[in-house]
Amino acid sequence: MNTGHQHGRSGDRRGFDRRRFLTRAALGGATVVGASALGGLDAEAAFAEPMPSLDPAIARSTFAEGRISRVNGSVLEVKGSYGEQHLVQLTNATSVWKLRPTTADAIKPGDGLYARGVDMPDGTIAADAVWVNIVNILCTIRGIAKDRLHLSHGRHAVVGHLHAAHTTASYLGGAQTADLSRLRIGQSAQILGAWRPEDDGIDVARVTAGH
Amino acid sequence: MACGSTSLWAGESTWFCCGSAWGPCGSAGTGACGTCQSSRAQAAWPNASQACFDITRPDLCGENIPRRGCGSVMNVRHQCSGATVCVTISDCGPRTKSFCGEATCCNGACRTNRVIDLTPAAFSAIGNLDSGMLPVYIYE
Repeated sequence: MNTGHQHGRSGDRRGFDRRRFLTRAALGGATVVGASALGGLDAEAAFAEPMPSLDPAIARSTFAEGRISRVNGSVLEVKGSYGEQHLVQLTNATSVWKLRPTTADAIKPGDGLYARGVDMPDGTIAADAVWVNIVNILCTIRGIAKDRLHLSHGRHAVVGHLHAAHTTASYLGGAQTADLSRLRIGQSAQILGAWRPEDDGIDVARVTAGH
Repeated sequence: MACGSTSLWAGESTWFCCGSAWGPCGSAGTGACGTCQSSRAQAAWPNASQACFDITRPDLCGENIPRRGCGSVMNVRHQCSGATVCVTISDCGPRTKSFCGEATCCNGACRTNRVIDLTPAAFSAIGNLDSGMLPVYIYE
């Protein structure tokens, strides 16, 4: 059986209480400064520097998903996919991802969203991180062009738009590379990217090629 | 049923969407168990049933993963941070056979092969969605 040995809790905790910092930032009405307040967000950095556990005094984080109906200052009004409503408060500690680590300026009404944060007394969610339009879907590569991949996802055709500055590939877990030349028609591929509400395509951040 | 602490497996975790959703996830459906929702702490297991196993085939990657059906609960723990989430099996996946040999690492230690798929709610409780994959230990 491929079970691994247990590790103790990481001693790599950062020198501050992430949750308390976040809560204070929200209560203080801090301005939004973007994605990097709590450190690097790209996959390489995420693996190299694992996220510390959230404040153990708070048993669980809060999660919200849905589409953004309105951006009201630093509050995102979100309509959940099951009809629920969320008010997501961005703070100067909130990381924002939309194809890449970015700032709140990139968030638009109509975008899809996943948010992680903490419940506030006023009913809002103070967001630790928001991922805008992020998708991570298993596809089959049906066609390859210079600037796009033609993909099938289940029974649906999807166009994956390639961006020289942002799209990387990983071949069976190898290091990320800008070299997409090893992609092949018929290959299984995990596509991590940002959904485009305007045309239902995907801006591709990373292609993980399989067999 | 409560999440336990008996070691069950280890490997890579990816994430997937299910249930009512936006974008390409809108066509994902509620999964093999009929209960899957992206906003719940749920997971897909590659041996949730024989029909599921026939699709995912983790054995082709050397992973003789035991059967755990719909409604089973597991603790999934980030290999390095120790962050843990308790999930309920609600779908079949990931398609392990398509990524045999793939490894995900942290702090110089790697886990090989995709062995569990988490919903966005579950995955984000122990890591960042933009990382796409995490090395995890699984307990029941």
